[in-house]
Order: sequence, then structure tokens, then C-alpha cells
Amino acid sequence: MIHQHFMLVPPLSVAENVVLGDERGGPALDRRRIEDRVRELEKRFGIEVDPSARIEDIPLGLQQRVEILKVLYRGSELLIFDEPTAVLTPLEVDELFEIVRTLRDEGKTLILITHKLREVMAVTDRITVLRGGQNAGELVTRNTNPGEIARAMVGRDLKELKARATPPRTEVVLAVRGLEARSDRGSPALRGVDFEVRAGEILGVAGVGGNGQSELAQCILGLRRPSAGAIRIGDVDISKDDPKRTRARGVAYVPEDRHLEGLVLAFTVADDFILGKQDHAPFARHGVLDPVTILRNGGRLAAEYDVRPPNPRAIVANLSGGNQQKVVLGRELSERPKLIVVSQPTRGLDIAATEYVHERLLEQRGQGAAILLVSSELDEIRALSDRIAVLFEGRIVATLDAASATEERLGLLMAGHSEAA
Amino acid sequence: MAVAFRTGLFNIGAESQLLVGAVAAGAVGARFGFLPGPILFPIVLVAGIGAGAAWAAIAGYLKAARGVNEVITTIMQNYIVVFVIHWLLQNGPMTAPNALGTPASAPIGDGAVLPIIIPNELVPLTRLHAGIFLAILAVVVFWFVLWRTPLGYELRAVGLGARAAAQAGIDPRVHTVIAMAIAGGFAGLAGMIQVTGVFHRVFDGFSAGYGFDAIAVALLGKNSPIGVVLAALLFGAFARGGSIMQANAGVSAQLVSVIEAIVLFVIAAELIVRILARRRGPKPLEAIA
Repeated sequence: MIHQHFMLVPPLSVAENVVLGDERGGPALDRRRIEDRVRELEKRFGIEVDPSARIEDIPLGLQQRVEILKVLYRGSELLIFDEPTAVLTPLEVDELFEIVRTLRDEGKTLILITHKLREVMAVTDRITVLRGGQNAGELVTRNTNPGEIARAMVGRDLKELKARATPPRTEVVLAVRGLEARSDRGSPALRGVDFEVRAGEILGVAGVGGNGQSELAQCILGLRRPSAGAIRIGDVDISKDDPKRTRARGVAYVPEDRHLEGLVLAFTVADDFILGKQDHAPFARHGVLDPVTILRNGGRLAAEYDVRPPNPRAIVANLSGGNQQKVVLGRELSERPKLIVVSQPTRGLDIAATEYVHERLLEQRGQGAAILLVSSELDEIRALSDRIAVLFEGRIVATLDAASATEERLGLLMAGHSEAA
Repeated sequence: MAVAFRTGLFNIGAESQLLVGAVAAGAVGARFGFLPGPILFPIVLVAGIGAGAAWAAIAGYLKAARGVNEVITTIMQNYIVVFVIHWLLQNGPMTAPNALGTPASAPIGDGAVLPIIIPNELVPLTRLHAGIFLAILAVVVFWFVLWRTPLGYELRAVGLGARAAAQAGIDPRVHTVIAMAIAGGFAGLAGMIQVTGVFHRVFDGFSAGYGFDAIAVALLGKNSPIGVVLAALLFGAFARGGSIMQANAGVSAQLVSVIEAIVLFVIAAELIVRILARRRGPKPLEAIA
């Protein structure tokens, strides 16, 4: 099993991690011998990693190879990959698939668990579609197409995303100038970021996770204090405002982690719908909450945003991920925000829920909202954005028009290759 | 106590907040004892609640501004208060001659004394006084604040999901201080009721660990207003019943402590099981997503 979240010991070397839990051969660890064994494995399966490198010093793509080596070292014949590409750059994905093909040709059996159709089409021989815990179809990759798989996954035809009919307006809603900020660990996370988002425009922010995306969203919301630079909504600098004041200026936020940040899971649907709006009319009058209005509002929004079950008294923790995200959307989008900061809005959602989120965002765009879309899903960014900014190591290394942003170009930029070449 | 738990804080300092409230009530009640009841009583009430709230707010502030663990600060506050009271009564400004044999303060003014509502002659061995009405009122206020005001909503949101609350514009730091202050206010009220209803003065070691019982009561009552009332009645019955059993049936009063401990163990065990289940339960699902 190759887990989505790696199970490695960061301070140990590659070879030590590979033999971990299986350090046979006497009390003393023969470093040379295990490194040789690991090298032998690498040669046989065409996997390249320096056996003496430390895990904490090598990138995620290489760490994943260590995970694969670990399994091979134990002589496994069946390898299960759980969402193996979630943290990889497009280049690393291609390299992973090379390894996967080699393993197959060596006679190993591989199971690839993924929700990305492209990957399924690229490397598999046969496909089993799971829907709601049941087998929803078996297909032979050679004889099928992404549309058929998607149909099996959703149980119906997918709607085409409406083309971006209206061009963005000229009015600049959000202007970020020379923004710098530090991460929680105190290292520079943003190193001079400039961009603007106009009304009726979606600006996609692409990049491999951990290149400053979270910090950017947090700075705009007022959850993190920038160390330099300005963030303007219209003519007002909000870089020093707290979330309450920022939100009062018409900023909505769909956070990356809906369990920790988006929702109070133990609340009812109705209560989560008023989070941040609890202290003013119509939900509170003269310092007293109005439970009838809160419940009615909960029922109305649950129906409007297709939360299932549409019961305002349901506890949010018991809803599915897609329905939880609908609660977040209902709360954030129902008051006609001017700017919407959206972070990884479809992470972990199934195809139907993803489609729903995308439709709602495009609807907001049509109504003139400015949207900053942070996502590590290139397909998502390319499908929704008018312009795409690529964030690498705290800087925007390029801003492309959606039309000219091919996957290859974005992939190279995300991996730190500059445009100049 | 339960208020603080609701906000995700662990207030171990109810004992000290109760004592501070009691001392404030006792001091004010004695100093202004000449005032008539309708004026004196509200002053004593405010003094008790205010002192408990302010004392607890210190721990809340340290937690919010400096990240100091509130369990540590409130425990340390307990010791500070116990010894300061010791000094106040032994040979400090509040020392007064009395017939109790232990160091004690001067009695509070008659105007501040809570009337006994069931006299001893009617039902022996009780000390039921009008404080029960204050306690009932406190429970109602607790329920109302927590479930019917924006402030209560914010406190619950911070307790159940601090980061979600923060991004929605509810400052967890401010609400930490408020939650501790409210919790301290209730504890201070309890201390004030002890002084005005039972002893009519402050003496050394007068709180038989009521503040610590409060932790148990809040746990047993699962922090809901009605649960807390029922739990408090149970523990009250334990305490009274224990001494009566000893007097009449020769059962050791210590047995009560044993029973209380067993009750708490069972609750704690349930909590641990639930936390473990939560850790194991939904996590793997998340990993797939």
C-alpha cells in the first residue's frame, strides 16, 4: 500500500526507511549492505533515488519513490496506490507513471485509487468505478473514454460548463501590491506579490501546495498580518484589518480545510449558516438571538444550495463532504460578496459535488463578483479562470491568459522553470 | 465552570474564583454593614461576581495574550488565593475576634444576609436559604446567555471550532477572556452565596472544595444547564447524605468520596473512549478523500 500521506521517518536515510521494520541481520545495522540492496532494487525497477539521502532533504516526488521501494523490498506482488498524484507536480506525475508501467511490465499487480480521469486513462488497463460503496461499472480502458467513466461515476451525463459568456468588467475589486508575509514557522512565505482581480473575473492561482497559497488567502482575509505591502478593496487598504472588518467590506472566504476552518462541525446546519452573521439583524436583535429566523434561514439556504438532507437541524458533522461544502457556499455566497477568496474548493469532493461548486462559482462571476481561486488542480484552474497566476516559492512567476495556459506551460512554471527559455 | 468548558477551556480554578468572590462579598458586606438590605445586598452581589470574574479573567488573558495553559494558571491561582486568605484572616486586615476558634472575618451586615426559607425548627438539619433562588437564576442566565445571545453563540463556536470562528470574524482570544470571566463570575457568585447564606462571614478553609466539586458537576452534567442542575443535586445529596449516614447508620462518610470518584471515573472513561473512537473513526475516510 502506498499511502496518500507518506509514512516515512524524516531524519532517517532513504535506505533506512526502506528497510524500516524489517532490519534483519544481527543487532548492528549494516548500512553499506542495505544501501546496496536498495540500489539493486532501484536498478531492477528503474527507480532513481540516492539511498543515502535523508528523507527530509528530498522533494515529495522522491519520497513517494521511497514508499514504492519500501513495498518492493518486502517482495510484494500487489501494490495499491492511494491518490498517488495529490502532492506531485505534473512532471513528477509523468515520472511516477513511467515507474508504474515498468512495475506492470515486471509482472506486478497494481491498483490505482484516484478520482482523476486523466490518470485512469493514462496508465490503467481495466477500470472499476465505485459509487456510494457499490460497484458501478467495469470498463476496459482501451475501449472506453473519459465521458463514459464520468457517467458511471455520477450516474448521469455531466453538464458542460457554460462558456465564460461575459468578459470581465474594468472595475478593479482587489489590488495586491508588494505583499510579503511570513509562514507560521517564520520563514518568508510571500516575497513581493502583485496582482489585481476585476469584477466579474476569476483569477486562478496555480502552484504546488506550500508555495505561499495558504498565506496569500490568509493575508487577504486578515487572518495573517502581512510584513509588507498593501491589499486594497476598491480604494481602501485592508492589509491591517481583522477578518470581521474585512468581511464587512464584502469579502467572502471558502477555506481550504472545511472541517477545521470552514465549519463548526458540531453545529447544526442552521447555526453554521449564520457563522459570522450572528451579531446583527435579522439573526440577532437587541443582543438576543432569534431562533425562529435562524431556523427559517437555515431551511431556505439548505433548499437553495441543495444540502441533503435539507434539514436545518441536522448536525453538520454527519453530512457528506459535498454537502458540507454546500453549507459553506450557502453561507459565503448568499449575501452577494464583492470578492470571493476560494481555496481548494473541491478537494476530496466527488464529481457531482465538484460540478456543483464550479457552477456556483461561475454564477457568482456572472453576477459581477471578483473571484480569487487558489487550487492545486490544474484542470479546475483551467476550466474556471479568466487569467492564471502561477505562484512559486512566494512569488508570482507568470500570469497567463486562460487561452494560452496549456498544461505543459503551467506545469513547467509550477516546477520553477521560468518563462524566459 | 461549564461556561469555560463550552469554550474549550479547562477552568480548574473555580475553587479560587469562589474564594475570591466569597472574600470580596465578606469584606464588602462587613465594611458597609450599616447600609440597609436593598442597597447592601446588590453591592455584595456585584462584589462577589465581579471579584470572581476579574480573578478568572487574569488566567483568560494570560492564555489569550501569552498562550499560557489555563490549567496551570488556574491551579496556581488556587494556591495564591488559599494562602492570601490565610494571611488576610490570620493577622491581616480582615482579622476579627470571634468565637469559632478558627481565624475569621467580621460578620457581614444583616442587610446582606440571605433569609432562611425553611427554618431549622420545621425540617431539621437543613440550611436551605434564599441562595437557592440565586442559584436557579444563575442557571437560567447561563442557559440564556449560551443559547440565546450572539455572545453565547460566539463562545460555543470558539469552543467547538476555534479556527472556523476566527475566519468568520470571531476573535478566539477575546472570547477566551470573556468565557473565563463569565465562569469566574459564576464561581464568585457561589462563594458570595456561601458567605451571605450560610456562614455570614469568611473563615479560613471554609470552602470544602466546592470549586473542585464544580469541575465534577460540570463533567457529569456534560456542560448543559439542566444536566448541571441534576449533577449538582446528586453531589449535594452525596455530601449531605454522607454525614447523615455516618451519624445514623455508622457508614463512613468517606464512602461518599469513593462513590463520587467511581462516578467520575466512569465519565472520564466514556470521554476517553469517545475521543479514541473519533480519532480512529472518520480519519481513514478523510485520507481517501
